[in-house]
Amino acid sequence: MNVPVHIKSIPSNKKHLSDQMYITSLVALVAIGLFLIASLFVPNFFQFQNMLNLVTNNWAVISLGVGVSFLLVSGNFDLSVGGIVALSGVLSVWLAQSIGSPNALASGLGLPYWLALLGAFVGALAIGGLNALFVVKFRIPSIIVTLGTMMVARGIAQVITQGSQRNTNLPEEFGVLGNLKVFGTSMQFPVLFMALLLLLAILIERKMVFGRLTYWIGANPVASKLSGIDNAKHITCLYLFSAGIAGVVGILLSSEYQSGFSNRGLLMEFDALVIALLGGIAIAGGFGSVIGMFFGAIILAVVTSAATGLTLSPDWQYILKALAVFLAIVAQTWALARRNK
Amino acid sequence: MASQQQSPVLSIEGLIKDYPGVRAVDDVSFSIESSTVHCLIGENGAGKSTLIKMLTGALQPTQGVMKINGLTYTPTSTQDARDNGVATLFQELHVVDELSVLENLTLGMEQSRFGFLIKSGLEERVIHTLATIEPTIDPTARVSSLSVAQKQIIEIARAASSGANVIIMDEPTAALSEREVERLFTVIKRLRSQHVTVIYISHKLDEILALGDAVTVLRDGKHIVTKPLSEVSGRPELIDMMIGRTVFESYTPRNTMSGEVVLSAKGLSNALLNNVSFDIRKGEIVGFYGLVGAGKTEIARALFGADEVSGTIVFKGESVGNSPKEAIAAGIALVPEERRTQGLFTQLTIRENIPVMNLQSMSNNGLYRLAQEQSIAHKYVEQLSIATNSIEKHTEKLSGGNQQKVVVAKCLFSEPDLLLLDEPTRGVDVGAKTEIYDIIKNLADKGNSVAVFSSELEEILGICDRVFLLYSGSLVSEFINGPDIDINNILNLVTGGNQGVTQ
Amino acid sequence: MKTVKNMSKSTTPEIASSAVSGQIISFLRNYYIYFVLLAIVVLLSLTNLDRYELFERGNFLYEKNIINILRASAPILMLAGAFTLLMVSGYIDLSVGSTMGLSAVIYALLAINGMPFLPAFAITALCGALLGAFNGLLVVKFKITPVIATLITLSLFKGIALLLVMDGVSAVKSMGNLKMPSWFNDFGREGVLLGLPMAFWVAVVVTAFLVVLQNRSLLGKYAAATGGNPTAAKLSGINTSKVVFVLYAIVGVCAALAGMARASFMSLGDPLSGDGMELTAILVVLIGGTAFSGGEGKVLRSFIGALIIMTITMGMLTLVPAYYQTLVIGAVLLAAAASNHLISRKEHGS
Repeated sequence: MNVPVHIKSIPSNKKHLSDQMYITSLVALVAIGLFLIASLFVPNFFQFQNMLNLVTNNWAVISLGVGVSFLLVSGNFDLSVGGIVALSGVLSVWLAQSIGSPNALASGLGLPYWLALLGAFVGALAIGGLNALFVVKFRIPSIIVTLGTMMVARGIAQVITQGSQRNTNLPEEFGVLGNLKVFGTSMQFPVLFMALLLLLAILIERKMVFGRLTYWIGANPVASKLSGIDNAKHITCLYLFSAGIAGVVGILLSSEYQSGFSNRGLLMEFDALVIALLGGIAIAGGFGSVIGMFFGAIILAVVTSAATGLTLSPDWQYILKALAVFLAIVAQTWALARRNK
Repeated sequence: MASQQQSPVLSIEGLIKDYPGVRAVDDVSFSIESSTVHCLIGENGAGKSTLIKMLTGALQPTQGVMKINGLTYTPTSTQDARDNGVATLFQELHVVDELSVLENLTLGMEQSRFGFLIKSGLEERVIHTLATIEPTIDPTARVSSLSVAQKQIIEIARAASSGANVIIMDEPTAALSEREVERLFTVIKRLRSQHVTVIYISHKLDEILALGDAVTVLRDGKHIVTKPLSEVSGRPELIDMMIGRTVFESYTPRNTMSGEVVLSAKGLSNALLNNVSFDIRKGEIVGFYGLVGAGKTEIARALFGADEVSGTIVFKGESVGNSPKEAIAAGIALVPEERRTQGLFTQLTIRENIPVMNLQSMSNNGLYRLAQEQSIAHKYVEQLSIATNSIEKHTEKLSGGNQQKVVVAKCLFSEPDLLLLDEPTRGVDVGAKTEIYDIIKNLADKGNSVAVFSSELEEILGICDRVFLLYSGSLVSEFINGPDIDINNILNLVTGGNQGVTQ
Repeated sequence: MKTVKNMSKSTTPEIASSAVSGQIISFLRNYYIYFVLLAIVVLLSLTNLDRYELFERGNFLYEKNIINILRASAPILMLAGAFTLLMVSGYIDLSVGSTMGLSAVIYALLAINGMPFLPAFAITALCGALLGAFNGLLVVKFKITPVIATLITLSLFKGIALLLVMDGVSAVKSMGNLKMPSWFNDFGREGVLLGLPMAFWVAVVVTAFLVVLQNRSLLGKYAAATGGNPTAAKLSGINTSKVVFVLYAIVGVCAALAGMARASFMSLGDPLSGDGMELTAILVVLIGGTAFSGGEGKVLRSFIGALIIMTITMGMLTLVPAYYQTLVIGAVLLAAAASNHLISRKEHGS
């Protein structure tokens, strides 16, 4: 009779980092590296204020990136966030505008401010629910569904604003949130929102069961179902979560500019997708971290602002973006393949 | 007999295939005559599929020679085999649903000018071949509108018209109705009359007796006998040849069974299953034995709530069968049939795979107990002797046996009262096999119940207390394991024979 | 031994009944689109369209209105067929809008710098092929998943187009010494036959060619095989990589033609003139019954789908203000995707 051979598992092992941490660290290093390189070539780049701006100017895309990243990890797309940003912003304005102006665009539903915000948020969640319905219940590929709901959301915004914007007859407190400076510093509330959201996301991803579920579902939806996970419920939650974030972003933006503009957030969903991919989140699901997404945003921000600083025309950002994503995808595939040889 | 001068269409000499630690095919030699239906039989693990894979070029032999019509044959891929005239009918159909029958038959062989299709003799030839094999199929019909049986015939016609003179069919009747099986036989006979040789692999002994010209029996990787079916007296002789007179691992009756019924299934029916009813008692290990298509996986999944089935399943007084989530909560766990696609998260580590089925104990008000995840992984790696130097190893890197152990660990962690295992040791090395059996016995000794679904008789008879026999979706028999069981009768029943016909 | 009586096995469903329901599904897929087009045209012609004074005489079926619609449809009509073939093979191209824009810029630049029509046309078309081939390279050689690969090129091509346009203006047009030649409008705006411009007829010819390509050529058949069952295709010896690469190049050429049509219509080369085209293309092929999973879809049906979308879009302009468009298109996209998917599921016995 064969005696089974035990190999005692040794706590320390060859790899101290999981693949995911490895890629995330790689992205972080690239981000910092690019920043340093840019500082060499671009005048006035290496300044604290500039570093801060890289983050604070992109608070909206990074926030959206959180929701999009979670959905990507679960194996799904969310391309509707840009449309939701427009919709929730427009709704918050329209619901809060006072009634009774002869100009249709200056007249709203006259609701109390907090109720208008609630209504806008609910509107955003409704789109998220629509996403969940089509993706989970009807099982239509998420890329098509969210393209469609993006158009529906933006479309509703366009109807409400008749194709332009609403920015009059707003209550006094409307512009507060978006322009609020926190703790007496120059940090604005939206940036604080992004920071808190990021911290929450990292917490969920690393320490909460909810985060783990996302990875299991993304890695193997068949096995996750057979392990007792309710895929449908979880993905629905993710779509609502992402829509909620987009809703808040839209509300804050319309507060900042004190207007509900139907073109707000245009193409933001693609930017959010790009920074997630740059950050190492696999399009197939089951892999990647929001920390990586954050540094992906930094990479993109460094690239575009360096281009501006070098007085390259702003049109260069498209080419640079394309190049960055291409290199990132190819590099990540290569790096992982080599590591796991 | 004039076959003296005629060389066999396929001859195999001294074929050996080794894997680390196991010799799957052990010095097999035999030959197949042209224009015959040559059947290949043997139990699971006898080496049939390994042999076939070498014939089709999917595997390379460790030693030995294969010859076609006297010429050495060393295929390196399926395409290579095809070029040499050896075509295989896979279980997954390789037809394009969206194209027509004719388009499928000519796929890859069309004549064209400047990239545009031109009419050539090919279409006529192909239609003619199809008509001689199965005239009722309309060549202009879209393949998606055909039944599985018809799609199979399309693949056969394609093989025949592409010049194959050896067609290998592996369990071709698994998904067919009786009438479709008859039709397939007619097709095969027509092929034979056109000088095509068919290698027919099947467990269904009735089919072999009805259709075959010659039969080769493999057992434990070794060649046992090759003889014309005219010289075979009947089912019993075939069964004898398949199992030999080996003594199975002796089964020791356990005394932890309490007799209390813990699961009761009544009238389970779906597309495959037919009114299946049975009980499982506390502390016992039951086995479900049957061959391909008998319904084992269907029953396992139905019990676990993974598939819908009509009928009732009552477990510990509660009705179950609606979802895996419900089953796990009630205390049932399933080790699925395909560990890579259904049981494991292959891109995740061992540590990350194990806790998924018991999230309640891993959750501290929503916070994930990371430290516990570590200790659990260590515990199960130790307990189940999972061969790894780290719990951080990606499970796709593990060997089959260790992968299976991770899946078992995953299930054990949910503290099931009933553990279901579907083909638990398929593709698992001998050492890990024994370990898994020990795990099963330990679990039952503690008062839990275990159900093993397997197509390996030795496995079932080695560890199960009570065995259910399945054939074609029905429960045909049930018996208590012991030293005086009639193996011949068992094999008879699971291959479609009638009860009581033993001699 | 306890025995359970062996019950007779259930026979698989009669082939006849499954074939009939299969035929109904096929019929729906093939022909419903014509009914839809007919229905929309009838509906629109019955309504009073004077409200927004967009249509002459307020009647949809008035000749000038139809000409307007068909002329405006030229770009999407050019693109629909090639896009369909690509989707049939199981692949997608999200960069067509940027290819259009870049082609428009190239065409305008060549024209404004004195190149006559034919060479300018040919060169731009060739550029389109190269751009498409680049997509093919990323997908086939670098094995980047099509969504990401074509999002990359979407950005890349747009960037190049924007850079090519002179500083200070948003598009390539007549400025200062450089004048847009008089023939520039010929392709996309001037009516040559039945009042319709060359671009429209080129779109018709291209579509006809692609219909023949799909039904009668190796490429068409192999595209369906690659999309329907890539394993079976490869096992039959088909070089699926080559098939996909060629299809991407064809999409590139058609996108270039579409870009030229639009540039010619607007008398300028606007790098952003194709923005959103990929959405329209997806919508059009969905309406035409193309499945996203591949294997399924017909060039002609997508052509009709394009006519339907353009008719709805422009017809809608007479009923409701322009700002309703996005909402309606989005809703139609969702409805088309849902019904498409449901039909697919029925077909494959999900």
